Amino acid sequence: MRKRLTKTLLFLPLLAYTAFSAGPYLWTAMMSLRTTDEIYRSHYGLPIPAHWGKYYTAWTEFGYATYFRNSTIVSVVSVLLVTVIGAMGAFAFARRRYAFPLREPLFLLIFLSIMFPPQIMLLALFQILVQYKLFNTLAGLILVYVATELPLTIYLLRAFFAQIPQELEDAARIDGCGDWAMFWRVMFPIALPAVATTVILNLIYFWNEFLYAVIFITKQGIRTLPLAIQFLVSDQYFDIGMLATGLMIATLPVLVLYLFLSEWFVKGMTAGAIKG
Amino acid sequence: MFLGPTVALYLAFTIYPVLVTFFNSVHTLRMDLGMQYEYVGLEHFQEILASDEVFWRAARNSLTWGLVAPVIDIPLALLLALGLYGRVPFAKFFRTVWFTPVLMSYPVVGVIWLWVYNYDWGMANLVLRAIGLGEYAQAWLASPTTALPALILVTTWMFAGFNMVVMLAAIHAIPLEYLDAARVDGADGWRRTVYIVIPLMRPTMINLAILDFIGKMKQFALVWVMTRGGPMWGTETVATYVIKRAFEWKTLDLGYPSAIAVIWFIIIFGLSYAFTRLLQRREVLEF
Repeated sequence: MRKRLTKTLLFLPLLAYTAFSAGPYLWTAMMSLRTTDEIYRSHYGLPIPAHWGKYYTAWTEFGYATYFRNSTIVSVVSVLLVTVIGAMGAFAFARRRYAFPLREPLFLLIFLSIMFPPQIMLLALFQILVQYKLFNTLAGLILVYVATELPLTIYLLRAFFAQIPQELEDAARIDGCGDWAMFWRVMFPIALPAVATTVILNLIYFWNEFLYAVIFITKQGIRTLPLAIQFLVSDQYFDIGMLATGLMIATLPVLVLYLFLSEWFVKGMTAGAIKG
Repeated sequence: MFLGPTVALYLAFTIYPVLVTFFNSVHTLRMDLGMQYEYVGLEHFQEILASDEVFWRAARNSLTWGLVAPVIDIPLALLLALGLYGRVPFAKFFRTVWFTPVLMSYPVVGVIWLWVYNYDWGMANLVLRAIGLGEYAQAWLASPTTALPALILVTTWMFAGFNMVVMLAAIHAIPLEYLDAARVDGADGWRRTVYIVIPLMRPTMINLAILDFIGKMKQFALVWVMTRGGPMWGTETVATYVIKRAFEWKTLDLGYPSAIAVIWFIIIFGLSYAFTRLLQRREVLEF
């Protein structure tokens, strides 16, 4: 009896925190299905009737189709590049066969740069991108993204590649495996679970990134979603209903994936806990 | 062969920019005059440290954020983790919900919380009025004294669940033998928590606290979306000030903000290193 009482008492703060945690987002979700007029009449009304058409309007008339496309291009291409380059780099850092003088100091340097504040590179990167005509292009943004997430990706994957037993490598080599085939046919497939965590971590980082985007992209046509939202909130501050719909468009892909793959997401994000 | 692309990208987009920033910090670099360099030595550093009041205000705000946030986030996350560890029903549901905010971008979070803090119809004031504390309802982001705490609460909302999940994993990693042994010795649940679980969690908590600190010292996006550093520099951070000096103020000089970035880079690394040493040493002394 007493135990049940303490359990209930323990339960209440957890419920309260859940309300705090989920409340703002649920409220936004409700507003996303209501027109701005309805919202101004009552800010906390239920979305009855639900205006699903608002999503279509946002998509076609408010440019979200373009921003969504830009975000998708940037995220997907960056993830592909950082995964392939990072896995190859991690492999070279992990296996004895590829040792060379200064390999460890180089790795240490890369490891330390995980914690570099972006400001220490930001203005110089701006200068470099302008110089090489990559300013205001998605290609330039992608290159910067890949470079910023490369250290963390290498760090996480190296730990995994280092655990793969030497015997396996030796056996594959006796079977006539060259370096290239060794990596793609033997090592990379074994490392897939670790690769999946870095893919998720990087995907979320790229999808949500704001600081580099706001400095390197000034043309409306190539804005990513986070950037677009920042501009829309100042342009259409009073059109709350449409903004709420836009916020949902920007977050739903990630949240839906999260619902289905939540264990992987937790693994990926917490693996990245090393980054500030 | 495997390392080629890594080294190329790393040199071009990390090492080289860092060196350029250091180089820029001892020059003025006029964007309007075709990036004309003029060597000025340590002049920028002198000006920043001796007479730039906005910098000091921004540094104080960032430091406040960096120090206050971990003090709130980490104990809160610990309580939540312990709550879920106590085998409550729906633990998985709670965990999933609490973790969600960290998956959203700062602009999204910023807009949602602009609404939460709205004076007339925001959730914050709604709750205060509902529980009879209506006289405390106010325009949270409009006053220099409440704006920064209001933003700190937003980052807590974002990261508490995330820190909780990391801690929960650390709790589950504690060998059951320790807890069983304590139970045999007659320690109740409360004592097992205080004397076994929490001390064993210490390294995890210190790590998370330092990461939280570094993250907040770099804080840019939330401020940019919600307050732009206002009101009256009340939420200006060093990161937003660097960007303003580089692109918004009509000084058109990249050298001065680079010098700020260099100073802040050194401070972040220095303090992180100091905290790590300090907290770890205390741990050694305890044994």
